[in-house]
Amino acid sequence: MSHACTLQVNGISYPLELDAGRTLLTVLRGELGLTGAKEGCDDSECGACMVLVDGRPVNSCSYLALQADGREITTVEGLAKGGELHPLQAAFLDEGGVQCGFCTPGMLISAEALLRRNPNPSEDEVRLALGGNLCRCTGYQKIARAVLAAAPGANA
Amino acid sequence: MATAAQTKFIRPDGKDKVTGLGRYTADLTMTGMLHACFRYADHAHARIRSIDTAKARALPGVFYVMTDKDVPDVRYGPFVEDRTLFARDVVRYEGEVVAAVAATTPEIAREAAALIDVDYEPLPVVSDVEAALADGAPLVHEGWSGYSASGDVVREGNDASRSTIVKGDVDAALASADAVVKERYVADMSHAVPIEPHAAIAQWQGDRVTVWSSTQVPYIARSGVATTLEIPEGHVRIIVPHLGGGFGGKCEFHYEAHVAALARATDRPVRLVFSRSEEFFAPDHRREGQVIELETGVMNDGTLVARRGRLILDNGAYSADAPFFPQLAAMHAVGPYRIPNVSVDASLAYTNTTPSGSVRAPTAPQACWAVEQHMDSVAASIGMDPVELRRRNILKEGDTTATNQVLEPIGAAETLERAVELIGYGKALPEDEAIGVGCGWWPSFGGPSGAFVKLNGDGSGTIITGAQECGTGAVMALPILVAEELGMRPEDFSILAQDTDAGGWDAGASGSQTTFNNGRAVIEAAREVRAQLLELAEEELEASREDIELVEGAARVKGSPTKSVPITTLADKAQGDRLLLGKGSGSPPPSPDVDASGCTGRLGMETFAAPTFITHAVRVRVDRETGVCRVLEVAASHDCGVILNPVGAEGQVEGGVVMGIGMATLEGSIVGEDGRQRNPHLLDYKLQTSADAPPISIAFVDAPSPYGGPKGSKGTGEPPCVPTPGAIGNAIAQVTGARVHQLPMTPERVWAAAHGVDA
Repeated sequence: MSHACTLQVNGISYPLELDAGRTLLTVLRGELGLTGAKEGCDDSECGACMVLVDGRPVNSCSYLALQADGREITTVEGLAKGGELHPLQAAFLDEGGVQCGFCTPGMLISAEALLRRNPNPSEDEVRLALGGNLCRCTGYQKIARAVLAAAPGANA
Repeated sequence: MATAAQTKFIRPDGKDKVTGLGRYTADLTMTGMLHACFRYADHAHARIRSIDTAKARALPGVFYVMTDKDVPDVRYGPFVEDRTLFARDVVRYEGEVVAAVAATTPEIAREAAALIDVDYEPLPVVSDVEAALADGAPLVHEGWSGYSASGDVVREGNDASRSTIVKGDVDAALASADAVVKERYVADMSHAVPIEPHAAIAQWQGDRVTVWSSTQVPYIARSGVATTLEIPEGHVRIIVPHLGGGFGGKCEFHYEAHVAALARATDRPVRLVFSRSEEFFAPDHRREGQVIELETGVMNDGTLVARRGRLILDNGAYSADAPFFPQLAAMHAVGPYRIPNVSVDASLAYTNTTPSGSVRAPTAPQACWAVEQHMDSVAASIGMDPVELRRRNILKEGDTTATNQVLEPIGAAETLERAVELIGYGKALPEDEAIGVGCGWWPSFGGPSGAFVKLNGDGSGTIITGAQECGTGAVMALPILVAEELGMRPEDFSILAQDTDAGGWDAGASGSQTTFNNGRAVIEAAREVRAQLLELAEEELEASREDIELVEGAARVKGSPTKSVPITTLADKAQGDRLLLGKGSGSPPPSPDVDASGCTGRLGMETFAAPTFITHAVRVRVDRETGVCRVLEVAASHDCGVILNPVGAEGQVEGGVVMGIGMATLEGSIVGEDGRQRNPHLLDYKLQTSADAPPISIAFVDAPSPYGGPKGSKGTGEPPCVPTPGAIGNAIAQVTGARVHQLPMTPERVWAAAHGVDA
C-alpha cells in the first residue's frame, strides 16, 4: 500500500506516493533521478549512499523514504551552488582525493556533516568522522588532507 | 613550459565525480528496460538432474527464464576452455549461474529466480588445495583432458597449470649452507572489493548489440560476447561509463553475454546490477589462496645460496586468467634477491570454490608475505639484522635472476635504504611496537595499445584512446603527455575513451599497463600531429621545420620569438583541406633475454620486463593480550622509473599500502567444508577505514628505466600492495616473538601464535 509524502531534497519539494518498504536511496535514484548517492553494499557498511537528513549523515540504503517525509534532505548534487563547486568538492580535486569517484559522494556528505558541527577539526577527528565511508582507491590520506584544507577554521 | 612532472594534476573527470552528476553503469536506465537476476548453484559440486522453470515463467512480470540450452554450445576461457555461460550438467561452485531471469522489476526477477526448481545429485566437494592434488581426489572436471587449452599450459587432473623454475643445484647448495630454514605459510582467499559492484546493460539495434558495462577490459569483454554468442566481434560494442574501481575484480569477460542474450530474447534492454554479496562469491576474480613451503640455505656472512619452494595456488572451479599464476608466484617465491641455486615448483589446483583471477598484483602479496617473513627467519638463523640480510642479497644492476635475466640499472637497493631511513629503522620504540620491513618486485607488461590524437578547427584537441580508466587517473593524465609533444596545455584536450567502437585495441585497466603502453601510443599519435603542424608552420613562417618549435600554444622560429603563429590559426587553416590527425600504437620496449631452459609451464612470466622494486617499512603496535595489531606508520619507497604524475603515483602507493594492510590484518574469506563462503559481505569481511589507515610517507627513486615506458616510466598501479603484508608480519613477530603463518593475520591468529596454540 502506498502513502503520500513530500520529500524536500536540495531545496526542491517532491510530492510522491510511496510503498512503505521503499528505502530513501531507491527513491532518490529512481523517482527523483538523483544518482549521486550510490549503492555499494545495501547494509550500511560502505557509506556510498550517504545523504544528509536535517543536517545529519544517514545511510540512505537503510533509511525508509517515508521517514524522511517533511525533513530536509541534502544529496551530493545539492552541495555545489550556482555553478560554483562547494569548497569540499574543490579541495577533493586539488588534493587528489578522487580516484574512481564511487565513494566520493558519500565522503563529501560525511565531511560536510563534520564541518557543519566542527569547522576546525583535527586530522584524527576527520578520520573518525569519515570512518563510515569506505574507499578502496586512495588509502584516505589525500581525502583527509582535502577535508582539512576545506575546513572553514583552517582558512580563517 | 612546465614539464609533465611539474604540472599540477586535476583530473578531467573530477568535476563530474565530485558533483555526483557523473554516471556509472548502474546509474543508467533505458526506456522499456528489464532487470536481470541469476539463479546460482545450490551446491558447490553437484550433478544437475533437471531444471524446471515453469513456475518462474508463470510469474507475472517475468519475460524470460534462460538456461544453458538457450545459448550456443561454446566453452571458453583465456588459457583453458573449461567453462560455459550457464551450468551444463554439473555445477562446480556456489556462484555458478544455473539460470537467468529478465523481469519488469528487480524484485520480480529475484522472486522468479527462487521459483526455479533444480534437482541435484550432490557430488564430493573439493575445497582444499592440498586435498585436490592428493592421489585419488575427486576430479573437479572429469573431462579436463578434453578441454582446449593453450599449448604452454601444463595440466594433469586437478592441477590446472604447473610451472617450475630450476637454476643451479639446490640439493648441493643446501647441503653446504651454514644454516637452512624451512617454513610453511598458508594464505586465505581474499577479494578485490571495488566499492562499485558489477553492473551491465545490453541493448540491441538490429543484429548489433551495445553493452554498457563496469568492466576494466572492454575489448576482452567484446571478444567474450562475440565468442559465447557466436556473433561477429564487430557486432558488439562495449561502452564503459565511469568505472567505480576494479583492482582486477572487473578484469576478464564476466556477465556481458548473459545480459546481451536476455536482451535479444526479450527485445528489450536488460540491466544486471550485483549486490555486494554476489560481488564476493560469483565473479571469477577473487585473490587466490596459497600454500607456500620455502626452504632456504644461507652462509654465516648472509649470502643466500639456495631456495627451494613448493607452492599450491587455488584456481577455484574454473580457469579465468589464473593459469599464468604458478609461474608468476614462483618468481615471487624467489623474490628480488640474488640466489644462485633455485628450485621452485608451483601448481594451480582446481577446487569447488569461486574462480581465481588477477587481483592487483596477482599472487604477489601472498607469496611476498611468506617470502619476506621467511627472510627474517633466515636472518635470525645466523644472528643477522634482517635489513642487513636484504642489503647483502638484494638485486643490483648486472645481477642475474632465477631465469638468468641480466638486470639493467635498477633502484632496488635504493628503495631499501630510503624506506628504512624514512621510518627511522633502529630507533628506540616502546616494547609493544616494532618496525618490520618487506621488499618486493613486479614486472611491467609491454603490449600493443591504440590511440588517436586530433586537433579540431578551434585549436582544441581530442585524444581517442582504447585505454580504460579505472580510477587510477592513468587515462586522465594522458593529456599531460600529448600536450608536452605539441606545446599545448593539458586542458586543451578532451578524452574519448571506454568505447570499443572508437579507440584502438587495448588490454584495458590491467597489469599496470595503461601509461606504459597507451602513454607510448598517445605520444606517437601526437608526434604525427606535430609533424603535420610543422608542415603547416613551414608555409606560414617561411622557415624549415628543423628551425621551428611548438611552445606555449604556438609554432615559433627558434631564437626568434616574434616569428610565430598560434596553433589555433594553423588548426583553423588545416580544417579547410586537411586533417590534423595522428595514430599511435608502436612496439613495446624490447623484452630482456632470459635463459629459462630449466623451467616448465612457461607462460611469459620468466621475464620480468622493466621491473619495479619496492620496499615498505611499517611500524606496528601489537596488543599481546588481544592479538590486535595496529599499523601506526608506513614508509614506502618505490623504483617505478620516472614519475610522470606525482599526484597519481602517490595515490597509487597510498591506496595500495592500505589495501595491503587490509590483506595483512583482516581480509580473508572463510570457506566452509561445503565450499561456500561464510562471510560474503562487508559486515564480516572488513576493509580498512580512514580511522584505521596510518600516515604514509613516500620516497620515489625517480630514475629512468632503460626498457621502460614513456620517458623511462614503469608500471605503478599494482606494486604498492605487494610487500606490505610481509612487512607487517615481520613487525608482529618482533613484538610477540612468534611468527604468524596464516594470512590474514587476524587478532585470533596473532594471539594463538603468541601463546603457542593452534588458531
